[in-house]
Amino acid sequence: MSAPATSTAPATPPVAASTLPVIERSDSPVAGMDPGWLVIVWDDPVNLMSYVTFVFRKLFGYPKEKAHRLMMQVHTEGRAVVSSGPKEKAEMDVFRLHEHGLWATMEPDR
Amino acid sequence: MTRPRFSPADGGVAAELTGEEWQALAAALDQFRELLMMDSDPNLVRLEPPARPDDPKAEQKYREMVSDRLLQHRLEAIELVEAGQGHGLLDDEATAAWMQTLNGMRLYLGERLGVGDDPDAAGEDHPDRPAVMLYQWIGWLLEQLIGAASESLDDPPDRT
Repeated sequence: MSAPATSTAPATPPVAASTLPVIERSDSPVAGMDPGWLVIVWDDPVNLMSYVTFVFRKLFGYPKEKAHRLMMQVHTEGRAVVSSGPKEKAEMDVFRLHEHGLWATMEPDR
Repeated sequence: MTRPRFSPADGGVAAELTGEEWQALAAALDQFRELLMMDSDPNLVRLEPPARPDDPKAEQKYREMVSDRLLQHRLEAIELVEAGQGHGLLDDEATAAWMQTLNGMRLYLGERLGVGDDPDAAGEDHPDRPAVMLYQWIGWLLEQLIGAASESLDDPPDRT
């Protein structure tokens, strides 16, 4: 996958991108090469709320408050985006969430 | 007051199941391992949820990539739990093995008892009384383990 070189406007970047400081990295992927992936956790009736919060803290290193907020979002809205990134990272996150018994899926960040 | 079965300790979590409890858990672990290896019980569905429900081809590819590894990790976790016999200090790896195993058994039992369709299904009047008891007991153990292990999870320090 690669984006054709063009002088016209490229595809719309993620909304947040323009507000972030530009970080120069030699290994930065070319814009458009990887659309980015979202990892989503879905509500289920069996997993304990305390367990879901714990797993978010442990796997992603989220502070207690953020982990709790994400868990509550899963619980009340039925799903929450818990991480994002390149495909390999998303696959690894989904795998680790499945290992812990959470109902996780991934989808392209459109 | 009931003595906690898991408590925060220096270097991890201290496990203190009674002999009777360990026997019950060991029997359940045996059955769980057998179920995982047979891989034919439809109630295991929650242990391997789809990663890519939007794309059957990608889902199949993902399955092929991770299925064996997922099973292997689950069997190793059961072994690690068995090694401690319900007693002693659990380091991070052992704590994770305990959590994943207890939770995995709960997911299986919850599905079997129909908790997915009715959150209150695992109650007094369910005909499969032994499974209900095991489901509730494992949930009780898991809550204590989470409480004890949460103590050792520090929030990330502010980066300055």
